[in-house]
Amino acid sequence: MSSLPDITEGRAKMDHPLIAVPTHDEMIEQLFVRDLKVYVMGQLEPVQAKIASAEEKTIDGNADNSRVARLREKMSEHESFRTWLAMKRESQRQLWSTIGDSVERQAADLEALADIPEPKGSVRTNPDFVAPDYILSGDIHLMPGGNAHDDNSLMQGAVMDRGGAVYMLGRNGGMLNDLRGQTAIAHALTRFPDFKPEKILDLGCGIGTSTVPAAMAFPEAEVHGVDVGASMLRYAHARAEHLGAAVHFSQQSAEKTDFPDASFDLVYSCALFHETSQAAVMNILAESKRLLRPGGLAVHLEVPLLHDNTDAWVELSGELEAQYNNEPNWRGALTADYAALYEAAGFSDVEIGYQPTSQDARQGPYRFGPESEGVFRSWFVASGIAR
Amino acid sequence: MTRTPLPRTPNRLDAIEGSRDLDEQMLGMIVSLASEVTVLRARLDACERLLVSTGALEKGAIDAFEPDAEGQAEREAQRQQSMQKIFRPLREAALKDLEATEGATQ
Repeated sequence: MSSLPDITEGRAKMDHPLIAVPTHDEMIEQLFVRDLKVYVMGQLEPVQAKIASAEEKTIDGNADNSRVARLREKMSEHESFRTWLAMKRESQRQLWSTIGDSVERQAADLEALADIPEPKGSVRTNPDFVAPDYILSGDIHLMPGGNAHDDNSLMQGAVMDRGGAVYMLGRNGGMLNDLRGQTAIAHALTRFPDFKPEKILDLGCGIGTSTVPAAMAFPEAEVHGVDVGASMLRYAHARAEHLGAAVHFSQQSAEKTDFPDASFDLVYSCALFHETSQAAVMNILAESKRLLRPGGLAVHLEVPLLHDNTDAWVELSGELEAQYNNEPNWRGALTADYAALYEAAGFSDVEIGYQPTSQDARQGPYRFGPESEGVFRSWFVASGIAR
Repeated sequence: MTRTPLPRTPNRLDAIEGSRDLDEQMLGMIVSLASEVTVLRARLDACERLLVSTGALEKGAIDAFEPDAEGQAEREAQRQQSMQKIFRPLREAALKDLEATEGATQ
């Protein structure tokens, strides 16, 4: 099983000192969750794909919505399909459960570590902030309490950090979980190798996994991150400080921020769109345009699009993921016409395609093309220049 | 400082079409037990390795272990106790069935 994702049992080998450190038993629980996910994905899911393939032959018509709906009806008659769905969800519930225990146990230690005497960056929370409906109507990724949860501590941020690293099965940069951020910045450097942005904004920054890479790649720049969750932002701030990155975090909606017009050179987001709504995507693009100075660059990174509409099972899998793992705009974000949306928002020189996953934005790879190189090996990116 | 416990149940858990809630509850319990067994086994393995590394236990000593007569009797009782505890519901259901069947045929 050498192909297992790289989450080692070495608890001492942590990538930053703030991350919740598991005990022996917690580590085994987390590895159990990872192994369960690999099993469900690698052993159960392919069988469902084959059942779907057989069922599809009995369905007439093209791969439109009704075909996907019909396939769903057929699949729902199979007990093993329902069990597979339940196991997928249970693996996710187990993930948050074990991480929650681990974080609560060491909350005092984490709070002490987060007390930074002379921070380089800052955090600004807003007690009157109301999160958008798509955040409040279902807890994204089934993380109990959701992204906007706030108990005046940083525990939810700690849960997201450790949980995210296990959830991504180590495929997004181990415990730093930062490859999407590195890739978005690598895309900017692919387009403009000598790019020297003075002000950078990461929209929907969460705990700052994708924000820190911008501060590292452009140490002279003023880097900001906005998100809806106060707990996550307090954690993001402390995490960035421990990593030596100066970032200014604030609690705001990516759809409408309080920054002045034309005040940024680079505005980006990483896998944000599929957690919002179709209307929000348009608002976020409009806000990106408002915030960029003319000539500034917007980069929005997403998971691979659903190009292949002839495969009803691929469509159905996405639909199920969206419904049972609470990804509110999965379908909308993965089928959008980004070229048209960017044009309409006031961008020119729009580029749509796939950026290979970067380990370090300053090391490349600096290539961009129309074809996906595979899930986790490349990311969908749409970028454009503010007119 | 008083800390608020983290929430443990996510908002919005859609029903899986055609499944009973009990199915998912049973599955959840089995997965949790599997997790517990995995943790127990790893902990036992850690104990063994630590004991071997300090010389308190010879490598392979547990596999080569043969309990004496008293030990065997105690371990037999432990296994029987586990058996009764775990499969109690099946025996209870069968006895109830028997009672009903005998009642109907008398």
